[in-house]
Amino acid sequence: MYRVLTWGCLFFAAASGAASDEEVVQPEAPISFEKQIRPIFRTYCYDCHGSGEEHEGNLDLRLRRLMIAGGDSGAAIEPGKPDDSYLLVRIREGEMPPGEKKLPPDDITTIEKWIAAGAPTIRSEPEEIGRGLGITPEERAYWAFQPVKRPDVPVFAPQDSVRTPIDALLLAKMKDKGLSFSNDASRLTLLRRAHLDLTGIPPTLDEIVQFLADDTPDAYERLIDRLLASPHYGERWGRHWLDVAGYADSEGYTANDTERNYAYKYRDYVIKAFNADKPFDEFIVEQLAGDELVPLPHQNLSPENIEKLVATGFLRMGADGTESGADDLDLARNQVMADTIKIVSTSLLGLSVGCAQCHDHRYDPISQEDYYQLRAVFEPAYDWKNWRTPSQRRISLYTDEERAAAAAVEAEVTAVATERNQRQEELITQALEAEVQKIEDKELGERLRTIYRTPADKRTPEDVALFNKHPNFNINPGNLYQYIATSREELAKFDERIAEIRKKKPVEDFLRVMNEVPGNVPETFLFSRGDHQQPKYQVVPAALTITAPEGERCKIPANDETRPTTGRRLAYARWLTNGRHPLLARVIVNRVWLHHFGRGIVPTPADFGTAGQPPTHPELLDWLADEFVKSGWSVKALHRLIMTSTVYRQSSATDDAKQQIDGSNFYYWKKPVIRLDAEIIRDHILASSGALSGAMYGPPIPVKEDFVGQIVVGGDDSRRSIYIQQRRSQPMALLTAFDAPVMETNCEIRPISTAATQSLMLMNGDFIMEQSKKFAERLQHAAGDDVRRQLQLAWQLAYSRPATEAEIDETITFLNEQVAYLKEHPITPPAKKEGEPDPPPPPTPQFEALANLCHVLLSSNEFLYVE
Amino acid sequence: MPRSSSNTPAAADWNVGRRRFLTNSIAGMGSVALASLLSRDGLLANDAIAAKPRTSFDLTARQPHFRPQAQAMISLFMHGGPSHIDLTDPKPELNKRDGQEYPGEITYSFINRASKKLLGSPFKFQKHGECGTELSELLPHLAEIVDDICLIRSMHTGINGHESSIRYLNTGKSIPGRPALGSWLTYGLGSESDSLPAYVVMTDPGGHPVDGVRNWSNGWMPSIYQGTVIRPREPRILNLEPPARLAGTLQQQNLEFLGKLNRRHFEDHEGESDLEARISSYELAARMQSAAKEALDISQETKATHELYGLDDPETQEYGTRCLIARRLVERGVRFVQLFLGGQPWDMHNSIRTQLPKVCKRTDQPTAALVKDLKARGLLETTLVHWGGEIGRLPVTEGDPQTGGRDHNGQGFSSWLAGGGVKGGLAFGETDEFGHSAVVDRVAANDYQATIMHLFGFDHEKLTFLYNGQERSLTDGRPCRVVKEILANG
Repeated sequence: MYRVLTWGCLFFAAASGAASDEEVVQPEAPISFEKQIRPIFRTYCYDCHGSGEEHEGNLDLRLRRLMIAGGDSGAAIEPGKPDDSYLLVRIREGEMPPGEKKLPPDDITTIEKWIAAGAPTIRSEPEEIGRGLGITPEERAYWAFQPVKRPDVPVFAPQDSVRTPIDALLLAKMKDKGLSFSNDASRLTLLRRAHLDLTGIPPTLDEIVQFLADDTPDAYERLIDRLLASPHYGERWGRHWLDVAGYADSEGYTANDTERNYAYKYRDYVIKAFNADKPFDEFIVEQLAGDELVPLPHQNLSPENIEKLVATGFLRMGADGTESGADDLDLARNQVMADTIKIVSTSLLGLSVGCAQCHDHRYDPISQEDYYQLRAVFEPAYDWKNWRTPSQRRISLYTDEERAAAAAVEAEVTAVATERNQRQEELITQALEAEVQKIEDKELGERLRTIYRTPADKRTPEDVALFNKHPNFNINPGNLYQYIATSREELAKFDERIAEIRKKKPVEDFLRVMNEVPGNVPETFLFSRGDHQQPKYQVVPAALTITAPEGERCKIPANDETRPTTGRRLAYARWLTNGRHPLLARVIVNRVWLHHFGRGIVPTPADFGTAGQPPTHPELLDWLADEFVKSGWSVKALHRLIMTSTVYRQSSATDDAKQQIDGSNFYYWKKPVIRLDAEIIRDHILASSGALSGAMYGPPIPVKEDFVGQIVVGGDDSRRSIYIQQRRSQPMALLTAFDAPVMETNCEIRPISTAATQSLMLMNGDFIMEQSKKFAERLQHAAGDDVRRQLQLAWQLAYSRPATEAEIDETITFLNEQVAYLKEHPITPPAKKEGEPDPPPPPTPQFEALANLCHVLLSSNEFLYVE
Repeated sequence: MPRSSSNTPAAADWNVGRRRFLTNSIAGMGSVALASLLSRDGLLANDAIAAKPRTSFDLTARQPHFRPQAQAMISLFMHGGPSHIDLTDPKPELNKRDGQEYPGEITYSFINRASKKLLGSPFKFQKHGECGTELSELLPHLAEIVDDICLIRSMHTGINGHESSIRYLNTGKSIPGRPALGSWLTYGLGSESDSLPAYVVMTDPGGHPVDGVRNWSNGWMPSIYQGTVIRPREPRILNLEPPARLAGTLQQQNLEFLGKLNRRHFEDHEGESDLEARISSYELAARMQSAAKEALDISQETKATHELYGLDDPETQEYGTRCLIARRLVERGVRFVQLFLGGQPWDMHNSIRTQLPKVCKRTDQPTAALVKDLKARGLLETTLVHWGGEIGRLPVTEGDPQTGGRDHNGQGFSSWLAGGGVKGGLAFGETDEFGHSAVVDRVAANDYQATIMHLFGFDHEKLTFLYNGQERSLTDGRPCRVVKEILANG
């Protein structure tokens, strides 16, 4: 009742307030529709009152005058009179928006103020308005959608230690705050920093000596070049890319979590691409559309073409349960598509487009239609109506000759198998006849033979009853040897021959790829609320509207007639990498910066939209993006630029005065200390102990559950961590404890956690115990019983620097204390067992103490954090 | 530090408790951690209500906004959706109209599985205790403590899916990626214990709950606020035991030397809070080795206690052990313990007649034992116990009325709270005559959270965390209220 009344009053109010229908255009209004109100409505209201073809209650909130005109319930706003505005009444009463998500009080206040001020707009509103929300000039003006603009680089005096434009751009901001760069770090610090940053492996003893001995002025620059040329560089930086690509060695989605036997080739492709400094634009084109660069049919492939096909593994990283027991297959197929779009958009566009799957993006100008247009780019390859499962998508690497050879082998096998079956039949007949002969009643013998030769389903009940009384007539290949003892051996010879023949068959290897079935041009529909069971209307492939200037939208032909496949992905990839995309280069340089400094210039590397954080140094971001593209998309050139800058070379030591001004080091007045990534902690431990294998590439090293259920390496435990199998359901305990991702879709940024469980792992875990012993063996092996030399070596292998005399003295005290204790508490040697060789002698107290020291070094902060 | 059994949180005690914590822990603390602890303590003492969100993080014990009723919480999370109409919320009208069409609109779950045919409860209800609250025959042990619990019959999430509804109850919103309730409490109050994690999660032998580790995720908070998992089997905490040869003096010497190296390294890097946090984390780990082992060792408990929790019965032994450990943890200063079940045992789409008694058998006695035990030890006053799932079940049948079950229902269901400043012997709120929707005194997930924060001494809107430039809270500006009617002193 109450509501109807209110409503009636409002109606009169609206009717009598016709004068307020006139525009109130105030370009300088502190609260305007365009700047504050529309973003609120976009978040909370437009799903029902704006973006659709029809509007709930016929109320359209996209224009001020439409709000005044109102809907079925009359005017929504009454300019100047917030308390009489029905829109506000319903919001305040918590009735709108319906559902859980309500407006925060601040937003309600903003709307009140706006209406009270007469509901001003900045611009005059258009006469006509089409479907959807469109993109307003305010939304277009958002920094991330502007073209990259190379800033002017300020010039500084020599004493400001500016080495590169990066330094100049940073210092420009620092100076205002009274900050300046810290001094360069020591040469050994730089050596360790550069090694761990670029390769993830600490310098060897020789490398330490050589670098210290090199007193040429460009020794540091040449060090960077040397490290960039190292094959281990790709293992380190490839890993960063695999995070955003969502790399996993299993399909996920269902509890089966089927293994992906060929995914590792994509991992190897990434490592090689980084090592080769493959121009990043090319790297992206290959990953999005490598298959379209290789002529069809995809047979008898050259190594170059294999590489291009393997690159498309990028689009095959999303979880795919369509072959491993997903309940609802249509849902599972569409989920593969949704995950792939998430991976593509967060890794390359720095945008979270996922929410536009169900409705227009609530924060950024990405319409639901945009989302499905982007989806259309991938639809021909991921056609959910003509789905191909992971095994149906594999490409065989058989050449024509190999295929022919394989067929010949199989023909040979068939011939032998036929021969074997014939012989088996002969033997069965022989056995049967012998049994018949054993029966005195000849007629019964004949009858049993006939029953035997009658197929089981044709036998009469009487036959069966009779037959069952004579179980010795139940002769079959399985029990034949009980009748003819030599038959087993004789038939086994055939099997051996078959196995021998099969050995000649070439091994069939496969690629995990994304490709299209030629001629398949599926339609893409916008799904109402993201539900594939509710297609609404068809859309054409295109890039996101906001990523191109107004009127220059990238539309992609539905079917490139010059190609056997649609060419959509290739067209999209080429457009994306044309050097004018507002996001791509910024996103990539931001990621490189993030891994060098521990935080991005944009701190949310996968969300450059309004829900993310703005860049701390926008000019620097643009300068780097522009330079990156100009350098021919060379990531190595970018590393060189960053690492030869003063900002990177600074010491990490603290400075009280600067700490007071900028405690969070927002301005980069020192080099941030960064904890090693999970994989690098493990790799470094192996490098220090001397166990690290230099082997590269190949199938993943399997993992297993240990006796308490932790996932550990189940094969060669000396390989670098990047080569350990990443099965979604079996994340390796040591790595995940230190924040390595457990892939659901992909990992946009790793958190850095500090937890007691990590400490327990480093205090008591098997891996570190074992490696500490190896480390101690290595020290004894290299330095004999000379404890001071052992310690010097230990410090260099763990910390990449010599120990100070004070450190050595102090450590000797520690060791002596331990040795004294260990001598008092010797290990009881295991009893010698009869007939077995002597057990190895127990370790000496000196060795045990040294291993304990190694354990301490490997778990210390100087080891775990890079300055 | 064990919580005093007679710790009635009078104002004086509340401050003393804090100081006692400091004195007791000095012995075990490294000087760096201690220095920072002391300095922060000074800071906080002058400014009890921290107005600004923090930018550096630790587990130092902190004071809430006002005098708290609860100091610890044990949440027995019954995810999957216990059927309130068969357990805690009798519906005579529903029983009367068994087999008839449901007269109104049913809010079905995402996939429309249920019918419209009403299914009366096959189980009998009876009044219990002085309060006379009616409970199902399946919960005889709960009946014994009914005067100590506040049964809320009007819980509401409005969401029928498990994961979203769990997230809504446990993190304030249904979207993934937010910190869990345990993270908020740990963030707000820090750790009362200097040798055990503040936030502990106990998983089930049947596996993780749906949505896995997200249930105890710190979301966008630092990872120190993440739940520490105590496993359902030995070793309950991984890597807790030092290798035999190292245990004792040698490891102690190792850790002392490690501490020396780390502190010297830190001197050159003041302001790098990560380095400091790791130093403390080794110290905590070292203390945990003995403290956690002791806390998990239930052999120290009397035979009577073992029997109380049903440890002598194979059906209740596992859950009973976890409930008992939960009590031991809270007693030793753990702030928040949450027990999960594996494999959605309450999610009875089928065979509700045969399955419901089984799950009740497994959990009823240990659950009631926990409340009794806490009460007997004087801990119930300061320990909030929560029992409940994320949804209830529909009054209509899914599948055959004899062999079938009931589908999800987020529109109305029951949970109960006990201790920690909540009124006992109260049945609060109502669902409609069929038990479909909460209609009287509806308690939405955010109301539940606001109330819990209140019991812990927080204004739920003012305990904020700065994320992406915005001050976020557990309830995040959503309209909700503290349900004063259920507070003991409300």
